[in-house]
Amino acid sequence: MGLFKTKEDMLKVLTRAASKQVYTRVLLPKSLRAFSAGPAPLKMDFSEKVNTNEIKLKNPTKLKKMNICQSITNALDIALATNPNTFVYGEDVKFGGVFRCTVGLNEKYGTDRVFNTPLSEQGIIGFSVGLVAAGGVAIPEIQFGDYIFPAFDQFVNEVAKYRYRTNGLFNTGGICCRVAYGAVGHGGHYHSQTPEAHFMHTAGLTMVIPRNPIQAKGLLLASIRSPDPVIFFEPKILYRMSEDMVPEEDYEIPLRKAEVIKEGKDVTLLGYGASVRQLQMAAKMAEEKGIACEIIDLRTILPYDFETIEKSVNKTGRLLITHEAPITSGAAAEIAAKTIEKCFLHMKAPVKRVCGYDTPFPFVYEPFYLPNRVKIFDGIQELMAYQLELLLNQWLSLIHISEPTRPLYISYAVFCLKKKKNT
Amino acid sequence: TTEIYTRSIVGSVRCVQETGFPIFRTMDLEGNVSDSKYEILDKPTLIKLFDIMVTERESDRIALNMHRQNRITFYFSHLYEEAVGPAIGAAIKDEDKIVLQYREQGILLWRGFSIQEILHTVKGSNKDHAKGKALACHYSIPKIGVLPLSAPIGSKIGHGAGLGYAFRTQKEDKIAVTFMGEGAASQGDFHAGLNFAATLGSQTLFVCRNNCYAISTPIEDQYAGDGVAPRCIGYGMPAIKVDGCDPLAIAYATKHARQMIMERKGPVFMEVYGYRGGDHSTSDSAPLYRTKEVLAKLKPYLDAIGDPIIRLGKYLEKKGYLANYKEQMDKVGKAAVAECHKYAKEMDETPYPEYKTMFEDVYSYTPQNLKEQIEQLDAHIKKYPEFYPLSDFKKKQSLFNLTCLLYTSPSPRDQRGSRMPSSA
Repeated sequence: MGLFKTKEDMLKVLTRAASKQVYTRVLLPKSLRAFSAGPAPLKMDFSEKVNTNEIKLKNPTKLKKMNICQSITNALDIALATNPNTFVYGEDVKFGGVFRCTVGLNEKYGTDRVFNTPLSEQGIIGFSVGLVAAGGVAIPEIQFGDYIFPAFDQFVNEVAKYRYRTNGLFNTGGICCRVAYGAVGHGGHYHSQTPEAHFMHTAGLTMVIPRNPIQAKGLLLASIRSPDPVIFFEPKILYRMSEDMVPEEDYEIPLRKAEVIKEGKDVTLLGYGASVRQLQMAAKMAEEKGIACEIIDLRTILPYDFETIEKSVNKTGRLLITHEAPITSGAAAEIAAKTIEKCFLHMKAPVKRVCGYDTPFPFVYEPFYLPNRVKIFDGIQELMAYQLELLLNQWLSLIHISEPTRPLYISYAVFCLKKKKNT
Repeated sequence: TTEIYTRSIVGSVRCVQETGFPIFRTMDLEGNVSDSKYEILDKPTLIKLFDIMVTERESDRIALNMHRQNRITFYFSHLYEEAVGPAIGAAIKDEDKIVLQYREQGILLWRGFSIQEILHTVKGSNKDHAKGKALACHYSIPKIGVLPLSAPIGSKIGHGAGLGYAFRTQKEDKIAVTFMGEGAASQGDFHAGLNFAATLGSQTLFVCRNNCYAISTPIEDQYAGDGVAPRCIGYGMPAIKVDGCDPLAIAYATKHARQMIMERKGPVFMEVYGYRGGDHSTSDSAPLYRTKEVLAKLKPYLDAIGDPIIRLGKYLEKKGYLANYKEQMDKVGKAAVAECHKYAKEMDETPYPEYKTMFEDVYSYTPQNLKEQIEQLDAHIKKYPEFYPLSDFKKKQSLFNLTCLLYTSPSPRDQRGSRMPSSA
């Protein structure tokens, strides 16, 4: 019987379904769910409108509802149509891709331009370098970010250094490598990794990560036409989850610019990809406590737009960075170090990083591992409370309490205030 | 729609009879063996082989149904490739180590790994040997000599070469059986692994399961040559192509390959021709790319290789070991299904291990930064317990729990200095 406790239950449900002739969805009890999930997402509308400051559209009314998967297919379609010397390839690309991002392209443009490659990431990127040396544009696909490592040598030693070691005589600007990355709920080590930190150390590469379909299409078209090689990471959990009214025409979003999604005066939240949703939910939770958060989507991870971050942190004085990758030497570490270097005197609290832990990505423990909205909200509160300790420190110095004993007073005061707050 | 491409096709489908490199087969589709010297397995082994193949097929079917019911997250099906694992398991010795790709579960069943343990591994529950840290279906079982499995394709081929080299230099009567698919044979690791094994001399048996598909990529898009075995002429190692739905041929070839490895102290390659009957995994849908036209083109090949269980069943009937192989299939199948259901229920009710387990075994000890992160997570969950699925996970041991007093004694985990588990 499986799902039902008693035979009567089963007969009741099935006869009801048969009598009404409708499909009865049996809600599985909690114990029979396939994998555990962390905090449930808040009921929020994540869809956005086109940012007219950035994107100048010829037909602003011609919009179509698409998810990230379809907007990427649309962008590839436009790229293949506008430039006849463009190639889209990778493992299983011909039938439409394992994530259905290249559906219909082979039928439209032929197997010389949209094709399957043999199973070798090392081969795919090495092949790309040669392909673009003849003047074309290559859009290889790496099926999962976890499998990008055989191609690491080609990326770091060839793609990144081609322009530099030839003093600009040659370049690999025609390469835009699409990679499906990020946590997906039950991915474990090899279907959930976020490898951007491994590449962040390599000058010469550009890394772009979109958060929704409008951004995905514009950023992908800009990456394909960029004169520098780009690795375009697509958060696979948002392939179908993120939907928007996307313009059907050809438009580009400028690379190397971060976007301020929400204005605020108390704390700056910085993230990219799927983490932006968590930031938006945490900001909503913080709003109920009276904290106004400013959210920045980094979009281009390398080279990152520090000007926008600096402007925001000088205004708010507090920075929280989040990403799914492990905390040690992740993207947040680099941005935090630079922020402290440039904005130290404006800061009211140290930079808070809410990231994954320093372990390989676990399988069943994903709800505990990922930085979710609750952890981010906790981080925001920690940042806001930090001011209290500074003020107490100043007050204690005014009444001439000696330095070594100050921490005792401060911790006791914070403890009493927290206790009072909780009761 | 007409396909627009300018690449020439070098043979659309590799049929069993039409390849340049001959394919070794001992038994035809009706179970008639061509020569009695190929009958090296005795009656109990053959019956066990048949039972395990039927068990594998039925448990696969139940596991796929469980995935549809949202009880497990991920599973690989082995339809029509059931013969490869058990037949090789029958021909090698118990001390030989196995390096898997991911579609060889039959060899685990042959060596005594039960369906209960398989289900727990697929879920990642508290009874899983990897304590829920490894992705579903990623077996790593020292007690039956199986090295850790991982999803990146081809990365284990080099491991097999290294293991075989260790066995040769330590003068052990063991080989390392390394599995791969024909897609893995396109990876760079394939070249590295085989070249190392042949040049340095490893006691490794490389087994390539050529099942015509690598997710959606057919063999026309994978290589232009005559399969994978002819490449070994370049590496300098003996190679053979075997019919993958003929368990007797696989067992005979493996036995002689093992003898050859021990005599020449070098590797041997075996390419096993089969067909991936099901989807690549539960995240794939084969009818999207295996349309009616494609299946019509493949029909001669599929008719030539047939179904391994039926072929072996007919052979056993002819030999008189079984009265009626269909009855045996029913009987063993029902027993397997009952066992699956029983352990599936247990699997559903077993919680995951406690969440602290995710921080263990990153290193051989717990570094300071991980200790801080454990404290952070503990404090966070204490503050916001309603957001986390704590009921799905095992509770933290309390000090008053008697079993915990044994648990808090210095565990061998922290004192373990050797790199391999002691029973390997």
